[in-house]
Amino acid sequence: MARITLDDVTKRFGDEGESIIAVDDVSLEMKDGEFMVFVGPSGSGKSTLMRIVAGLETQSEGDVLIDDTVVNQLGPRARDIAMVFQNYALYPNMTVEENMSFGLKMSTEMPEDEIEETVTSTAEMMGISDLLDNKPGELSGGQQQRVALGRAIVRDPNVFLMDEPLSNLDAKLRTEMRTEINRLQHDLGVTTLYVTHDQTEAMTMGDRLVVLNYGELQQVGTPLECFYRPANRFVAGFIGSPSMNFFGRKVEDDTLQCDGFEYELTEPMRESVGDHKRVELGIRPEDVELHDSPVDGNDFEVVVDVVEPMGSIAYVYCRAAGQESDETFVVEADGKRAISEDQSFYAHIPPMDAHLFDVVTGETIHQRELDGDLGVTADEREQSADVSPNS
Amino acid sequence: MAADDASFDAENGSQRLDKDTKESLVRVVRHGVLLGWSFVVLFPLYWLASMSLKPPGVANQLPPEWVFLPTVYNYIQLVQDGEFLAAFANSLIMVGASVILVLIIGVPAAYVLSRYDLPMERDILVWILSSRMLPPIAVVLPFFVIFRALNLFDTRIGMVFMYVSINISLVVWVMKAFFDGIPETLEEAARVDGATQFQGFTKVVLPAAKPGIFSVAIISFIFAWIELLFGLVLTSFESVPVTLFVYSFIGSRSIEWGMLAAASMAMILPVVVFLIVVNKYLAAGLSFGVVIKE
Repeated sequence: MARITLDDVTKRFGDEGESIIAVDDVSLEMKDGEFMVFVGPSGSGKSTLMRIVAGLETQSEGDVLIDDTVVNQLGPRARDIAMVFQNYALYPNMTVEENMSFGLKMSTEMPEDEIEETVTSTAEMMGISDLLDNKPGELSGGQQQRVALGRAIVRDPNVFLMDEPLSNLDAKLRTEMRTEINRLQHDLGVTTLYVTHDQTEAMTMGDRLVVLNYGELQQVGTPLECFYRPANRFVAGFIGSPSMNFFGRKVEDDTLQCDGFEYELTEPMRESVGDHKRVELGIRPEDVELHDSPVDGNDFEVVVDVVEPMGSIAYVYCRAAGQESDETFVVEADGKRAISEDQSFYAHIPPMDAHLFDVVTGETIHQRELDGDLGVTADEREQSADVSPNS
Repeated sequence: MAADDASFDAENGSQRLDKDTKESLVRVVRHGVLLGWSFVVLFPLYWLASMSLKPPGVANQLPPEWVFLPTVYNYIQLVQDGEFLAAFANSLIMVGASVILVLIIGVPAAYVLSRYDLPMERDILVWILSSRMLPPIAVVLPFFVIFRALNLFDTRIGMVFMYVSINISLVVWVMKAFFDGIPETLEEAARVDGATQFQGFTKVVLPAAKPGIFSVAIISFIFAWIELLFGLVLTSFESVPVTLFVYSFIGSRSIEWGMLAAASMAMILPVVVFLIVVNKYLAAGLSFGVVIKE
């Protein structure tokens, strides 16, 4: 187990002058045993950052530390890491058993019989004992994925690196494996770095998320912090599904001018806005309310464009009545409520649930109101839950 | 109601009959076509084999004698004639060595071209291919002069180089495409697992590339084995390849058909043996236990 520290890490690709910055001055620290998820859209530099930690890529600037050792000059071999690749990268010519023992043979002095024993017990744990004599080509996607995980676990490394390991599985299997990886990481307690572009995976798996965009660190925090206390507009829009709705562009006379309606800012909002002139309001779909008649002066008439029933809830795509553009925003409504296309409602944006962002910098200038401590990680939540019945 | 059922059954039955007839008709046609094609393909081979088994004087009769007493006379003559065995052994050694050498040079070259961003990579590849762009007859005389100058004329080593130069572009191009198809994450996985880059190549990539390597090996073998022109010009006595020896049965006055056929049959043998040995790998195809990134 180990701590990982990234210190001002920058990675440039290409020649001097016309280089592309893949990772831009990222600093962060992963605690021992932590499950950290790098999340961001494609091209955000999350995979590059992981490959830098793995030693498969060398950073252009900055330091990578495992525990207190600077590992900049060390290859993957010396870093004692195990990695699960998106395409699993199982050795096609070797059996499952050979795949799993390869790392132990290469990186340790372990005697043959001990290797065999370790492989057998790991295979049992992963439920792949009966596949040991098969070649990867004979396995299903889900089985290959298990073998890839087993190959990483059997090494008993300092750090697990997982590069979008679930993206080639079908939806059902993905959900199953998500839970399983969570459980494994929890049981083994190995520091794990997980890369994904899927914000659901990020939310459900990580102790902490590292949100990246264009190679720049956007926010580091627990899933709930990133969800409820987004550092900027990007994080607000990226975390959460469906995405947060954004309205407005500029503030005039303490009123936010939006396409099709106006939104008068409340006192706390005005304080946050201060001198900012160009401001955007963000509200999550589950916080917008649809009423038959206006609740307060900020409510505005909307017309339903599309309804997507999901069962217990429905996503209702609406457009403000007097709106110029074709853009819609989404409202999460009760699934049992009868809502049809072209129906009219009054949309209510509760001021306490709204975020405000500076349009120019994207920075969050006003957070929603909230109670509870969002800095608590899943593990800590679990621990406190374990303790509470007795106390 | 019962009558309805009966007519329904009858109808059903006749439909089934129709289907059966159609299926058997298709089967007959398919077998007919295959038989016909097999005849086209195998007849020359049969002709050659039968000619090699005919006694002298019968082999070249036209119309041929369809019924004759087979004899291994031609084969015995061949074996007793030391020159044929010498040429056969020459060819086996030279071609075998050239295949090993061309793989030793070509496979790592292809790997480097596939994995590293080299300056002028495209040009290097075209340059390698350009070695085969001129027709052999156009370069054979310059080669003769060069071989004389370098004391390679009529040497086995000279012929090995010649065969390597014939096959190197094939090996590099085919193997580069093959390595391109092997995901780089395999080597990365090996490196993370503690292997050095070289071990990653030898223990993971090369075994994964086996079908490709055996494919280019067999094709290189065949190309070198059947080469005649360079052997004709660049050898005289010491390093005569078996093709040249077979060719020698076509004299200016007469053709020794029986011996020619027997020697040709013997020439087929190594290719068949080689194919049988590597067939497993050729058939293995390209099943890499990895999912290609979409």
